[in-house]
Amino acid sequence: MRYFLQRMLQFAVVFFLVTFGVMIFMRIGMNKPGDPARTMLGGFVTDQKAAAVNKQYHLNDNVFVQYFYWLAKMFRGDFGISVQQNITVANYMKGRVLVTFFLGFYSLLWALIIAVPVAVYQAYRRDSNFDRAGNLFSFLFVSLPALVLAPVIIQLFVIRWAWFPRISEKVMPWQSLSGHFKNFFLPVVVLTLPLAAIFARLLRADIVQTLQSDFITLASAKGVPPSRVLWTHALRNSLFSLLSSVGVQLGALVGGALVVEQYFSMKGMGALLLTSILSKDLFVVQSVTAIVVAVVSVANLLIDLTYAFIDPRIRHARALT
Amino acid sequence: MTTALASSTHGAAEVKSARKARHMGWMFGTAWLVVLSFCALFANQLPFIRTYDAKVRVAGQAKQYGFGPGWTAWLGTDNSSHDVFARCIYGARQTLFIGIGATIIGLTVGGLLGVLGGYYRGWVDRAISIIVDCLLAMPALLLALLLIQRTDQIKETITALGWLTRTEEITITLGILAIAPFARIVRAQTLGLRERDFVLAARSLGAKSQRVIWREIMPNLVPAMVTVAVTGLGILIAAEGTLAFLGLGVARPQTWGTMIDAARDDLSKAWWATIFPCLFLFLTVLSFNFIGDHLARKFDIREAAV
Amino acid sequence: MSIAIQASTRTDDGPLLELEGVRTHFQTPRGVVRAVDGVSLTLERGRALGIVGESGSGKTILSRSIMGLLPTRGTIRQGSIRFEGREIGGLSRRAMRDVWGKEMAMIFQDPMTSLNPLMKIGAQIAEPLRIHLDMSRSDAWATAERLMNDVRIPAAGRRLRQYPHELSGGMRQRIMIAIAMACGPTLLLADEPTTALDVTVQAQILDLLGEQRRDRNMSLLLVTHDLGVVAGHTDDIGVMYGGKLVEMAPTAELFANMKMPYTEALLQSIPKLADPSHTRLNVIAGRPPDLVNPPVGCRFSPRCPYAQDRCREEEPPLIPTVEDPRHTYACWYPVGSPAYHETKARRQREAEVAA
Repeated sequence: MRYFLQRMLQFAVVFFLVTFGVMIFMRIGMNKPGDPARTMLGGFVTDQKAAAVNKQYHLNDNVFVQYFYWLAKMFRGDFGISVQQNITVANYMKGRVLVTFFLGFYSLLWALIIAVPVAVYQAYRRDSNFDRAGNLFSFLFVSLPALVLAPVIIQLFVIRWAWFPRISEKVMPWQSLSGHFKNFFLPVVVLTLPLAAIFARLLRADIVQTLQSDFITLASAKGVPPSRVLWTHALRNSLFSLLSSVGVQLGALVGGALVVEQYFSMKGMGALLLTSILSKDLFVVQSVTAIVVAVVSVANLLIDLTYAFIDPRIRHARALT
Repeated sequence: MTTALASSTHGAAEVKSARKARHMGWMFGTAWLVVLSFCALFANQLPFIRTYDAKVRVAGQAKQYGFGPGWTAWLGTDNSSHDVFARCIYGARQTLFIGIGATIIGLTVGGLLGVLGGYYRGWVDRAISIIVDCLLAMPALLLALLLIQRTDQIKETITALGWLTRTEEITITLGILAIAPFARIVRAQTLGLRERDFVLAARSLGAKSQRVIWREIMPNLVPAMVTVAVTGLGILIAAEGTLAFLGLGVARPQTWGTMIDAARDDLSKAWWATIFPCLFLFLTVLSFNFIGDHLARKFDIREAAV
Repeated sequence: MSIAIQASTRTDDGPLLELEGVRTHFQTPRGVVRAVDGVSLTLERGRALGIVGESGSGKTILSRSIMGLLPTRGTIRQGSIRFEGREIGGLSRRAMRDVWGKEMAMIFQDPMTSLNPLMKIGAQIAEPLRIHLDMSRSDAWATAERLMNDVRIPAAGRRLRQYPHELSGGMRQRIMIAIAMACGPTLLLADEPTTALDVTVQAQILDLLGEQRRDRNMSLLLVTHDLGVVAGHTDDIGVMYGGKLVEMAPTAELFANMKMPYTEALLQSIPKLADPSHTRLNVIAGRPPDLVNPPVGCRFSPRCPYAQDRCREEEPPLIPTVEDPRHTYACWYPVGSPAYHETKARRQREAEVAA
């Protein structure tokens, strides 16, 4: 419990530092009061308009006061406005969050569904042809970032064979399930393959190591069938690297989503972030960064808790401290 | 009475051929990088590589995507009728320069932070850990976008930095990305080394901290640092490509990422202009992964998630 | 020759375990390691046999070979292993699964690493019960609690729901015994069961093993490097060196009348209470033999203080003694022979001259 509180505190510190840092960073070069509004609105605005925006968002105050106002609004669910699009950030994100969520969720899910059985079987039949093929493929896919994999996939499946539409409309599962999968299939493949390769490599190495432990030999000596030795005894004891890697890869997935959304012309959060960063849409950048940081951190916190749930030693060690 | 029982000997052969397969990977990686670096270094001298600006004309006319892959231009020509192969080689020069530069920055700063945090523990460690956590909390690409996008303003504000070229800006940005993961790995390694007998012995003999760090800990960090540097190099090259793809790249000389970005909308017209830079990027990242894996095995370093 | 696998006819006559010319070799990059190189022995029902030897003598591999728990890759196995009258040496792991835990159980050296850290104690004891005896979860757990009482674990009900890291080494070794006992095996293989434990706990564990063995009429194969451990707890002792059995006898007979200089050296390396303090411990000079290229002749000859030319040329066969046919040894010039005394007297004179 105390460990959990400690992690929460750490999360809070990091969250405030990062969001404050982003705000300061976005303000670099905006020395005169009123500059932020002008930057956001683009050069040609009336003074009244700029003044109004300045006043509404306290942009004339010093950065600490600004940060405080921004934060207070965030917690009330008001993420500010996109001055460029002239809509609230919440509305701006509304249609897009789900696109990116599905991208990330499916990719992570499929990566795990593929990686876990492959890694378990690879470790079980170590150095077999299957294992070697698995190793080779994980090397290949680890080296295929979305940037490289996407054009190849598009060239083959969209242009050459035309199995999939070029432009992915955002189709939600409740609108048309088949359309939904058709649209998400290729982008998800692009994100899944490297991810599955990373997971499989880590997990295989860990299981190979676990399989050499005495308790695995004891399990066999008890007459436990190999499938149970693998899936219950070995797998559970080999999850540490995989779980921490899931946490790390969540952040990388945000980057991957950005690229994939560009290639497949999807209107997701990545595209939104890119546009707003490039056009210096201050509130959007601040709020979306804060949300992304919060989501990634909370996910990592959950992963930690999962691990404590799996491993009693961690649970107990933490109960003591 | 003796019964000949099960004897399985094929196992040893399997182990051997698996080892051979891994060896092949490392051979391939080294070979590719040696050939690529050679071509990139001597691109101006080698007769079979066109110059950076040479145009391959169709009947005297510069033509957009005039040639597909073939004898005239091995990998085809791009939208301003430059030889894609030559551009890929020049791109290697630029890409490798950025990747290696970023790795050096990340390794120096990250390594220093990691050693200090791991060795001194206490508040030094806590302060460094918070910095590292903050850097890691942001998705790397997001951080990179923010950094690069603001460099113009930073250069205006801090005029002393005005001399930085675009290439250097990107190198530094990627270097900053690499700091946190490197720091984390080096810190973990230092923590382990710190409790080892030879370090304890040196400390108990009254050696100064500085001496212990430089003479006892640093030399033992080298294998781990080299290994993560090689693996990290692959990741940084991919990151550079991604940034360039998002429009934040070096315009001249083009990197592979810039080439991909420039041609990707014409994928249906001229696939070669996108796919071949992709192939160069892929093979290079693959090579670094192969070599990194080989080193990790050789030095017995558990793979750390970068 | 084909291997006839007889149906499990559990007859109470005939020995429980018979080994004939068992060889276990491993293929390694260095060459073929002859870890076990032709071992024949017989273990009667309800008896305890101690296998003693230095590390690298092949004793652990011998116990694993009997169990069939060897890496599948690069392992060459030869010879015959008959258990309950049927040949098990050639059985696949799959076929051995019905034997493992049910008829033959094993206790490992290090109780710290031999229990699954993520599984409750109760589940680990219950596992073989559920697999072999098809018990329901609650029955299995109830049996597990009874087994824990049998191995004298206090507050068994509470311990059942604990994890291995919450228990001391001695407690964990008791758990290991409980797991091994679970399905009532007829043969228990214990591989250095006390080496990783404190001296005070060692005796308790050995007594517990002996008591369980008598209660359940089980045979025990106790592998150890420590002659002192087997002395009070086994009926017979076999001494292994360089992958071979070099002497075997009933315990009392062996201590009274040992033939192999190696056995003598092992015994002398144990410190005795009667020794004055600061007595130098006798160590066996030299290193265990290289099992890739074992020495020609008697494998102990390079380290044997009484070795003659013949020992270095011709390998001595395992032969029974004149007095007791159950006592076998492999030595050309055994302890007590004229040649032995002669060499010993000469050594002593040399030592005196040197002093």
